[in-house]
Amino acid sequence: MIGDYKGEIKNKVLTALLQAYLDVLDYDGLKSILREAELLELKDSRDTDPNKSIDFFSFKKIISAQNCLLFGCYNLLFEIGKKFSFYLFPYGKNFEEIIEEINYLIKTNWKIEVINKNHGYETGELESITLGIENCIFCSEVGVPCNFIIGFLVHSLEKSLPSNIDISFSGLKDPNDPSHSNFILKLILKKK
Amino acid sequence: MTDPEIRQWTFKILLLGDVAVGKTSLINQYVEHSFSSDYRPTLGVNIITKDIEIEQIGSLIRLIFWDIAGQNKYEKYRQAYYEGCSGALLVYDLTRDDTFVNIESKWIEDIYKNIRKKCDFMLIANKVDLTNRVVSYKDGELLAEKINAIDFLETSALNGENVEKAFLKLVYQILKQYGVEFEINL
Repeated sequence: MIGDYKGEIKNKVLTALLQAYLDVLDYDGLKSILREAELLELKDSRDTDPNKSIDFFSFKKIISAQNCLLFGCYNLLFEIGKKFSFYLFPYGKNFEEIIEEINYLIKTNWKIEVINKNHGYETGELESITLGIENCIFCSEVGVPCNFIIGFLVHSLEKSLPSNIDISFSGLKDPNDPSHSNFILKLILKKK
Repeated sequence: MTDPEIRQWTFKILLLGDVAVGKTSLINQYVEHSFSSDYRPTLGVNIITKDIEIEQIGSLIRLIFWDIAGQNKYEKYRQAYYEGCSGALLVYDLTRDDTFVNIESKWIEDIYKNIRKKCDFMLIANKVDLTNRVVSYKDGELLAEKINAIDFLETSALNGENVEKAFLKLVYQILKQYGVEFEINL
């Protein structure tokens, strides 16, 4: 892992991530990722103070291990991203508050922001949200798709809307594009 | 820096088969040359990597093994677990007939149901070191032919017999699809 890894992550982010692994990959899957990250000692660390922090380097080692082992697993990354959102914000929240909070919980050289909200001319209802993502820490390696963060964002938005709304997305870059971790994502809302 | 002359590959390999046929033990034998007699069922998926270099073809290959639990409770994510795989080892225990029957009635169907792209698979009869075999070599060979497996081998995760050969034969077959061939010298 070459690069500058300054920053800190609130423990509750780590706990939500480990819980997401446990749900989707079960205990051996969780251990596989932590073993690959050389952080197996974290496998039972659910009771740490959620408001304390871990260093960004350790967190990034886990994400890199995830991306290495889940090579080619687009759907699994999406599912883990969704579960990550579920455990980080178990009661749901206003989508913009979630965006604000994720930037606060993961303090490093990255950013997610809402760029635009588009409402229907006649109905006045929300039709799409455009997000700008800079230096996404979940897919910074070349070849790693952005499905984790998309799963996170889709689920976070879903939870803040009535259940009769479907969400699709557009704007993904080719994972082999070296700049693919900087992208504009459009989340499109449609009634079921 | 990696030598630009060296080609790098990454292949996801699945190990499929009933509970306790020795999937995890086969990987442990191949990756770490170790064997544990304490049986502990896999919970979910056990994912292990091994990097191999094949000088003959100037290639570095990262193998990512997905040892998928045999229990039915993982059906929900099974299709997602199979995504992106390049090859598979279908494993049965030659001392338990039901594990042999399930290759055809369960695991082959699972592959066809869950894997959309071409996936080469090999049939493995494990535990050849045991004396109480109930499935003959001939029956294994016939099944391999019937299900279009690329090959059939009897292995022992306990003493390592044919283990490396099984994995290398699978890698050979996968690389062949990309027009790359090498000689397996074991």
